[in-house]
Amino acid sequence: MIGTFEYVSARTVDEVCCRLGDAGPSGRPLAGGTDLLVDIRNGAARPALLVDIKRLPGFDSLRVGPSGEIKIGAGVSLNRIAEEPEIRRRYPGLAASAVAVGTYPVRNRATLVGNLCNASPAADTAPVLLALGAVVTVFGSGGAREIALRDLFASPKRTTLAIGEIVCGVRIPPHGGPVRTAFAKQQRVRGHDLAIASVGGAFFRGSRELRIAIGSCAPTPILLDPIEFGEITADEIVERVAITAARAVSPISDLRATTEYRRAVLPVLIRRVIERLLGPDGGER
Amino acid sequence: MRSELTYVGRSTAREDAVDKVTGAARYTHDLTPAGCLHTALLVSPHAAASIARIDASAARAIQGVRSVLTGADLDVRLGLYLRDKRILARDVVRYQGEPVAAAAADSLEAARTACNRIRVEYEPIPAVLDPRDALSADAPLVHPDLGTYEHMRGVFFPVAGTNIAHHQVIRVGDVDAALAAADVRVSASFFNPPVQHVAMETHASIAEALPGGRVDIWTSSQSPYTVRHLLSVAFGIPHAAVRVRVPHVGGGFGGKAGLHLEPLAYVLSRAAGGRPVKVVASREEEFNTLPSRQGLRSTIEIGADRDGRLAALRADYLWDAGAYADYGVNIGRAAAYAGAGPYRVPACRIDSRVVYTNKPFGTAFRGFGHLEVLWGVERTIDMLAARLEIDPVELRRRNLLRAGDRTITSELVTEGHGDLIGCLDAVCDRIGWGCPVERPSDARKARGRGVAVLHKAPAMPTHTACAAIIQLDEDGAANVLVSGVDYGQGTYTVLRQIAAEALRLPIEWVRVAWECDTASSPYDWQTVASRFAYMGGNAVIEAAADCLAQIRATAALAFGIDPSRIVCEAGAVYPDGEPEKAMPYSRISLGYTFENGNSVGGPVIGRGCSIATGLTHLDPETGQGLPAQFWTYGAHAVELEVDTETGEIEILRIVTALDAGRVLNPKLAVGQVVGGVVQGLGSALWEGFRFDEAGRLLNRSFVDYKIPTAKDLPGSIEPVFLETPQPGGPYGARGIAEHPMISVPSAIGNALYNALGIDFTDLPLSSERVLAAVRAGGGAG
Amino acid sequence: MMRISMTVNGVRESADVPPGLTLLEFLRDRLHLTGTKEACGIGECGACTVLIDGEPVTSCLVLAVECDGREIHTIEGEAVDGELSELQRAFIEAGAVQCGYCTPGMIMSARGLLLRRPDPTEAEIVEAIAGNLCRCTGYEAILSAIRLAAERSRTGVSDEE
Repeated sequence: MIGTFEYVSARTVDEVCCRLGDAGPSGRPLAGGTDLLVDIRNGAARPALLVDIKRLPGFDSLRVGPSGEIKIGAGVSLNRIAEEPEIRRRYPGLAASAVAVGTYPVRNRATLVGNLCNASPAADTAPVLLALGAVVTVFGSGGAREIALRDLFASPKRTTLAIGEIVCGVRIPPHGGPVRTAFAKQQRVRGHDLAIASVGGAFFRGSRELRIAIGSCAPTPILLDPIEFGEITADEIVERVAITAARAVSPISDLRATTEYRRAVLPVLIRRVIERLLGPDGGER
Repeated sequence: MRSELTYVGRSTAREDAVDKVTGAARYTHDLTPAGCLHTALLVSPHAAASIARIDASAARAIQGVRSVLTGADLDVRLGLYLRDKRILARDVVRYQGEPVAAAAADSLEAARTACNRIRVEYEPIPAVLDPRDALSADAPLVHPDLGTYEHMRGVFFPVAGTNIAHHQVIRVGDVDAALAAADVRVSASFFNPPVQHVAMETHASIAEALPGGRVDIWTSSQSPYTVRHLLSVAFGIPHAAVRVRVPHVGGGFGGKAGLHLEPLAYVLSRAAGGRPVKVVASREEEFNTLPSRQGLRSTIEIGADRDGRLAALRADYLWDAGAYADYGVNIGRAAAYAGAGPYRVPACRIDSRVVYTNKPFGTAFRGFGHLEVLWGVERTIDMLAARLEIDPVELRRRNLLRAGDRTITSELVTEGHGDLIGCLDAVCDRIGWGCPVERPSDARKARGRGVAVLHKAPAMPTHTACAAIIQLDEDGAANVLVSGVDYGQGTYTVLRQIAAEALRLPIEWVRVAWECDTASSPYDWQTVASRFAYMGGNAVIEAAADCLAQIRATAALAFGIDPSRIVCEAGAVYPDGEPEKAMPYSRISLGYTFENGNSVGGPVIGRGCSIATGLTHLDPETGQGLPAQFWTYGAHAVELEVDTETGEIEILRIVTALDAGRVLNPKLAVGQVVGGVVQGLGSALWEGFRFDEAGRLLNRSFVDYKIPTAKDLPGSIEPVFLETPQPGGPYGARGIAEHPMISVPSAIGNALYNALGIDFTDLPLSSERVLAAVRAGGGAG
Repeated sequence: MMRISMTVNGVRESADVPPGLTLLEFLRDRLHLTGTKEACGIGECGACTVLIDGEPVTSCLVLAVECDGREIHTIEGEAVDGELSELQRAFIEAGAVQCGYCTPGMIMSARGLLLRRPDPTEAEIVEAIAGNLCRCTGYEAILSAIRLAAERSRTGVSDEE
């Protein structure tokens, strides 16, 4: 047995929030389970109750609106994100970051929202979503509210959610014009690995606004201040972003990499992302 | 020459593959005898501590718990070559991860709960974590009682009052004088971290203590007879009372060669009134508690004349054995006699010391020290080439051993040793050595090529033996019994081919009994050292000849002619020149009955054996002697690309040549090369244990111990086989199982120098290490 | 204890299980389908790969209770009426099997791939099995086997000696 706990498969969101509210810190929502069950097995989490949200109506839904708004339910798997034609077309950088998580069979269970709520500073899907200005829908005893994704992350593996709240979905707002996205992740190996450093970017062609977010270099994923630029070269953009990034991050030395290595590869990843965003064929292939 | 063989040399498919692709193959993990208990371990959190108090009473009280043991309950000492190890730590713990107590219970949950209730009071004592520190006079002693331990005398020499488990030397000529007189001297120090086997099946053993002192064991092991022998010796039980059976084994790579979880399973069963007890290592326990490959710190100095001819080689090999000596002392021994590489070295001084530290201990691992030693040797050879501005391949051609030369133990090299220069030429030819390296597409990348050679002989006792029995069934089919283990390398398939060839029997009528059972399969030393195809093959050939002699003798009576006139072919016998009279083996396999009812002959059972011949101990003062039954030579050539911004290495091509003597099964041989090269890649680029300052293992799961995946492959792996017949080898074959892994890191390190002009000395060549060296602008990394 | 019911290799199985029992444990310990292996327990090695409703998952990180009403396929269901599948035969022929411990998980990942992509690209084949660790083969023969099986399934040509 992986652990000792009660399990209930919830039928409504209200039920989820009630049960989690009653259980307090020893209640956890269960979606893909690929983070939570590992933590339970290793003793890092000891919940008394798991509330399965996978059979909630609408949690599996992925909707693309006519203006390009995308709504992703909490139950949508990372493989589905990676393979969804509309996401591959509009936000290939997001598809690329979904594929960067774990392995193929893990991604059939792991969800996009779960990746965010796990709140690892290395969450692969966070940088591009931050750059796109994504918004998460939080449901609690007081009903639903939306918060900017950047306000979801509190500290490593901790969200700002209160007891009894869950994230029901994430929304990518419409941008009213073409957007390019790109994602780059530095790993120790080519096979599956946690990020040593990662960069997600979005380039809004209409407003000539560049948004860059960084993972694995701070206690949470970090969204840099937006960069608007006029007539400067790509190289100068890269340099400016690299300087801003270097000031914004605080990479640690751990088993995976040293502070020095993280600081060394970060500008390389930034340059590669920006080259893809501003380049002729633009965005991820 | 080739066409006269029917089965040997063909890519016969494995018979065992069907069970494996259907999930029917059962490994020790899959066996659960009736009433089997499950086991949990309690391990030490400290690298070195004395156990002040240990109280298991609360554990024993838990419902479903049938036995709980601590080191205090077990006054037994074990060890393959040096008896330095307890089943559970007693009085003192010597590495973080060492088992301190174990509980066997009806369920795994109850066993784990029991272990959580065991109270241990530790008093940490000073730990020694670096083998260099372990050598200093005031170092804490990992084994203060080393001088009292039983050990294999005349072969291994532990130094009482120190941390030195063994010291092997080579002394040839006057190295100091030769170095002083040399035109050029090159010296460097190298590091190989400990590395894990990572067989996909973790260690697992089941033991049942039967009445009358008997023991029944099922275990995931490479050596059933060694398990039997060591248990017999440790517990004073007659060999015949210990039965060891080995089902399918999910990989070994040396990690399952000795005695591991079997003694613990046995004592837990004994304490549980004889209930069968199953001990299975979790992946974390596999990394942290079960043994690994020893780390190595080496310093190598070479002196040569200005044409690059080697005058002297001096090497200091400092093996990090961890807390227990296990196979480590033998690796230290092999590192000495192989430690100059396959080169002609007139003067040589090697000191190979195996030293205790307070870390997880080392055991046998594919290559048995040769990958680690040749990392340093092949890098130093290339450093010499660079200093002298001689092409590294040309430098090797001037110095590699040839027929007529002597090794550093004074062994005479013959044509039959294999064509080492041919291997080097083959890889150079295919990689395009001498032609310009293609420019990388991106200016921020650098490309380079490197070569390295390899040699290894089986590091085995002078009395290593192997036997085979072939029994013919009622229908004339042959059943081959051996106790070597096929844990994936495919040796049973090769033995099947050899048996069919030698018995003159269609291969469909030959099988090798899968499970080995010490109660009925004949003795084999261990399936290690790349010697099973060689010795098992020879034993099978002899057993087959014995079968044919019996068949001929009986057929001679049946036909009323002299046995010398009997022809055996395609599973039938006939008088020479009269094939129309042929009768199948089935008419003779249990004896022959005449028409009037008279019976002659009897069940055909062939016996064959093979023993190491001509081997001698190494002189303790000089290292001279004959340690090698045969050598296998090889070479790699690598072309790679380095990203100078991230330090990532991409292996574009690796060409590997081995002189196999005779390729018994091409598909299996290619499988060994590709698998070994990829495992070598792991050692080269990504793998290595990391410890914190307190000696605790940090990377103890796949999250942070990374082995190659399907995404980590080189652009191409190109195996090449030479076939210089090995005298005494079955059909001229020699062992090749370990060799593909050896010198893979060396070739990569040499290619990195070619690409970057930077000499790397420490493994693994992680992106971080490479980038740091690139940014530092060269020098050693 | 919770009552669950799932279909495993076409056979309906009902049982009372504790919530903490993984699908892997259910298959191996309750149903005695020991073909699926545990080699890490944390979803990193793929040895425990089975199909849930046709999709490969690491069963060590799935609870049995999550599979109520689902269709599970394991390696024991790959051969039909004793006839090895195209994939199984290709694995044997290509030399893709050495110790065999990773093999069931590999075949399940490959089966999942061929179900969704009968004509996979090389990159798709690699991605499909990159989560299945193998220490023996070095992967090349496994990739060949999958390529071979895909080719034969598409063209309807079966293996010939």
